[in-house]
Amino acid sequence: MLRMQNLSKVYRTQMIETHALRGFEIHVREGEFVTVTGPSGSGKTTFLNIAGLLETFDEGEFTLDGLDVKNVSDDARSRLRNEKLGFIFQGFNLIPDLNLFDNVDVPLRYRGFSAAERAERIKSSLTQVGLASRMKHYPAELSGGQQQRVAIARALAGSPRLLLADEPTGNLDTQMARSVMELLEEINARGTTILMVTHDPELAVRAQRNVHIIDGQVSDLVRKMPSLVEPQRAASSLM
Amino acid sequence: MFRYYFLLGLRNLARNPILTLLMVLTLAVGVAASISTLTILHVMSGNPIPHKSARLLVPLVDNGPVKSYVPGSQPEDRQLSYRDAVNFQKSGLGEYRTAIYDVSGAIESARPDLPVEQLNGLAVDADFFPMFEVPFLYGSAWSRAEDTSRARVVVLSRNKSEKLFGKDNPVGRTLRIFGQDFRVVGVLDTWSPVPRYPRLINSSGGGLSGEDQGYIPFHTATDLELPNNASTSCQADERDPGYQGFLNSECTWIQFWFQTKSAADRVAVADYLRGYVAEQRKLGRLMRDAPPQLFDVMEWMRYMEVVSNDAHLAVWLSFGFLLLCLVNTTGLLLAKFSARAPEVGVRRALGATRGAIFRQFLVEAGVVGLAGGVLGLVLSAASLALIAKQARTLSVVAQMDWQMLALTFVLALVASLLAGLLPTWRACQVTPALQLKSQ
Repeated sequence: MLRMQNLSKVYRTQMIETHALRGFEIHVREGEFVTVTGPSGSGKTTFLNIAGLLETFDEGEFTLDGLDVKNVSDDARSRLRNEKLGFIFQGFNLIPDLNLFDNVDVPLRYRGFSAAERAERIKSSLTQVGLASRMKHYPAELSGGQQQRVAIARALAGSPRLLLADEPTGNLDTQMARSVMELLEEINARGTTILMVTHDPELAVRAQRNVHIIDGQVSDLVRKMPSLVEPQRAASSLM
Repeated sequence: MFRYYFLLGLRNLARNPILTLLMVLTLAVGVAASISTLTILHVMSGNPIPHKSARLLVPLVDNGPVKSYVPGSQPEDRQLSYRDAVNFQKSGLGEYRTAIYDVSGAIESARPDLPVEQLNGLAVDADFFPMFEVPFLYGSAWSRAEDTSRARVVVLSRNKSEKLFGKDNPVGRTLRIFGQDFRVVGVLDTWSPVPRYPRLINSSGGGLSGEDQGYIPFHTATDLELPNNASTSCQADERDPGYQGFLNSECTWIQFWFQTKSAADRVAVADYLRGYVAEQRKLGRLMRDAPPQLFDVMEWMRYMEVVSNDAHLAVWLSFGFLLLCLVNTTGLLLAKFSARAPEVGVRRALGATRGAIFRQFLVEAGVVGLAGGVLGLVLSAASLALIAKQARTLSVVAQMDWQMLALTFVLALVASLLAGLLPTWRACQVTPALQLKSQ
């Protein structure tokens, strides 16, 4: 699904060069749930931005769903983001002036779906996150956990191949964080590949694999066997 | 997607109402100032008879004295002497010909209890009416034979007819004007060309407003020795006494018009004029070395300076003001769109291309422009009403037509799109990764 080889990213100012990623190597297989951990400034977010085609890289190779994205144009990157990727952010990043229906509608508009198909996908994804009855509500009328569920519904509506989550539980209390994590696990159980950056070690170990980044490099790969995942979570459904 | 962007634009108008109001108001004031002055210029300089303006020609010959002549200068007056006017009448050139001068006299009522009415009108030839396509409510113009026979006939304006006879058809009735009995042969329907191009030099309201209340045959007027009621210019030091002496003099007081069959026939009229001047010179007249001039309707209006330089200057100034308003609107849009950078970041992350963001924000600027256009229209109408109240002569030209109404919206839209270009371009340059992390 996602492969980076010897990838490097340098931020340059007139005075300083900062190597955010150097010789970065990772391979995420289809259907995996991979967590990314590391100290602040280690390069987690840079990695996630490059994986999400929100930033370019300087050297190395990066293939996404079999496509070499090194020399892909800005418009093509936008189309790839729209068709193959789903984003979940720490700050939810919902558009405050749009109700839930219209927020989930945003990526579908750029996809060019018909009105009927958009409506069906919006209702389906909001149903999956348990907020179908609140379609006409605005983000400000929801709790933080509910807002993150809307963001997940928005990410799911376009049926992405890869879900990128940047500390999705960072702004939530423990109970809400657990609920969101369970939702992500359900989504993964249905076959969607998930790459999640987190600071929370408890959440990190719940994934099938944890990648630890230090100083822009993968320092350690912790592979967990599927059998180690708690049976009740592995068996949980989206309903 | 346009509908989606348009609805987003409408929604975002209400997002920051004070900023939106400022933008709309700034744009509306600039558009209103431009449209108000442009409306006046448009009406003043519009072609009052576009389908035949190139075929209606005003001849001008310089009959001033040689001693005061500066070569290359324009004639002191823009009218003709009686002799030249009569010679042009007899020339047989073109389809129609008419001489025009202003007459004024009292209309004596048959009933002694009613006050005397004044008639400020024109002495013209029968050709005047078909030449300028004057509409008739009742009756018709007099005939060319009645021109020659100096018939006592009159055509009244609708207003004058209604004042004298109410709503009745007065054709065939007699009016006592200038101490003579005149038979009413026709009543005009409402006819008020703006500008009043057939007779820009007049004594009844000037080139823009006012009305000629009645028309009598040119030769009937001179037969009755009616003086010119408008501007008369006499350059020569001496002339024979009496009305006949006035007619034989070089005083200029008559306007003349030819109508040709086609615009190409203008050459024939110009040739005739050159020949006429040469012939008159042999007779000891038109001694200035000044070529005769010929003007079509639009050229004549320019020559007569119907649109003053002040009007042109006002338009330039108002568009300069609009430019200032645009700069202000650009600043306000920059502020508004900058605040939306996080939204741009989210949309870009979710798949919007730079082009999609550009279109969305440009449509939003256009929505501001449409709102500015609506308010600009209201402000334009209000300022035109104010201008009309300030000066009676401007009340005729301070009228907005459909063209100007459409132009108001187009101008507001184009202005808002221009003002929105820079802010929209800036919005497209937002780096999504930065915005997403900073939220």
